[in-house]
Amino acid sequence: MAVYVSNPIRVFWSSAVLAKNALFAWLNPAMWITQLFFISLFQMAFFVYLATFAQNPQVSVAFVAVGNALQSVAYVSIFAVCNITGEEKQQGTLQNILVSPANRFSIFVGRAMFQIVNGMATVVIAFLYAAVLFNVDFSQTDFLALAVTILVTTFAMTGFGLMLSSLGLYLRTSMIIANIFLFLGLLVCGVNFPISYLPPFLQPISYAIPMTYGTEAARMAVTGSTLSGIAGILTVEAVVGFIAVLVGYAMMVRFERIARVKGSMEKY
Amino acid sequence: MPRARALYASFKHQAWHFFADPQWLIPNIIAPFIVTMVVLLLFQDITGEVVLYAVLGGGMMGMWGNTLYASGWSIQSDRWWGTIDGVFAAPTHIIWVIGGRTLWNTLIGVLNGLLILVIAVAVFQVPLELNEPWLFLLAFVTTLLSLACLGLIFSAAFVLTRSAQVLTNGLEFPIYVGTGSMFPIALLPFWSHPLSLSLAPTWGIDAMRYAALTDYSWGLSTGYWGDMAIMALISLVYLGLAIWLFMIVDRVSRRDASLGRA
Repeated sequence: MAVYVSNPIRVFWSSAVLAKNALFAWLNPAMWITQLFFISLFQMAFFVYLATFAQNPQVSVAFVAVGNALQSVAYVSIFAVCNITGEEKQQGTLQNILVSPANRFSIFVGRAMFQIVNGMATVVIAFLYAAVLFNVDFSQTDFLALAVTILVTTFAMTGFGLMLSSLGLYLRTSMIIANIFLFLGLLVCGVNFPISYLPPFLQPISYAIPMTYGTEAARMAVTGSTLSGIAGILTVEAVVGFIAVLVGYAMMVRFERIARVKGSMEKY
Repeated sequence: MPRARALYASFKHQAWHFFADPQWLIPNIIAPFIVTMVVLLLFQDITGEVVLYAVLGGGMMGMWGNTLYASGWSIQSDRWWGTIDGVFAAPTHIIWVIGGRTLWNTLIGVLNGLLILVIAVAVFQVPLELNEPWLFLLAFVTTLLSLACLGLIFSAAFVLTRSAQVLTNGLEFPIYVGTGSMFPIALLPFWSHPLSLSLAPTWGIDAMRYAALTDYSWGLSTGYWGDMAIMALISLVYLGLAIWLFMIVDRVSRRDASLGRA
């Protein structure tokens, strides 16, 4: 047992498997599939019709549809991942996890792993909607470049979600943070309009969120850029995602200590 | 009288819950406010009527966000706190308990919607010159009541599922799209128009635009009072449907012993 919990890889894997099993023990698979197929559709439709109404020459339907298709990963990578600590708290299992000798980082990263698969499936379905329902032209698309963009963005955004999740150790609920960042992405990540539209003081925030690089890379891949053409942007995105994971770990250690000192672990 | 007392007690109880943890207002405000900002930035050099679309739509979205979260969470919270069985076992029918909660949420929804309007006007300096302020206010409040009636239907459905939270998140944008909160429903595919017109808030937002704008060219042909009448009629249908659903849900949940499944 002691050998098992001191092995971070095994803890990570068992945490990932447990998270997947727990999700389907709680959530009806039919409901999961419904969510997978519908969550991106209406958000994309909303902004596509809005762009049609606004008739802004710089913001085409394709611009908005591709941006929203990729951004749909945020429902999973921000919302679901950010709520990991909050849900443990609500279910009364957080204290047991924190008193166990198992590596926290492995546990929480493992918890998020199924959401990477979930997130990629959500984005792929959203791109299908962009093609079939909103007539986005994919004839020039480099699909390898697009697939790598989806992969890197999902990993990077999951890292970002984990960073936010660490706040749930201290706050009464991480749901509020999840909501703020879920929708903030629509504003600051170049999903619906170029970042240059934002006031200058907001633009640095854009470049601290991996999604900003992802939307740019996805649009380039859709218009024909090869993998080597977007490698630079994807590298920066991966680095930002990695930094988010490291910052998240530091925050997790810090907030755990504060929560222990203040006795706020069970406060929700 | 006992029903009125239960309604009032539930209203008061919901108010205390809100004051104990007012941070829950944030999720209700954040989505409509950010979407309104996105829209105003998207409309860059456009002024006048189109910009008011965004601001009015933001107000309506604020009300719907509040109603939806309140509907979804009022049942889910009872599940988590272990109080749902007690609520159902009480001699007062569940509809009066939910009714009291809905009334409180309606009140907060009005404030939420107005707050979004004020923030949008203050931050983006959009001149909100209302053509008929009193008619606008009437349409604003009645639209919220229609949203509350729609929320009651979802509340009933949420009793039967453990996935109320998932459904709550998924139902935000469909109503924004279906009601044409930020754009005319004429832009939607023709086949979807009957669905949009079956939503009471579609008529409500149209009435709000009739009251606010001097030259409203995209409006439905029914005009302000026609919109209000149809909205009232559909809302009554929603209310009747919600009461009927709650009676069914009450029976089914007792039979299946599924209430406490958090």
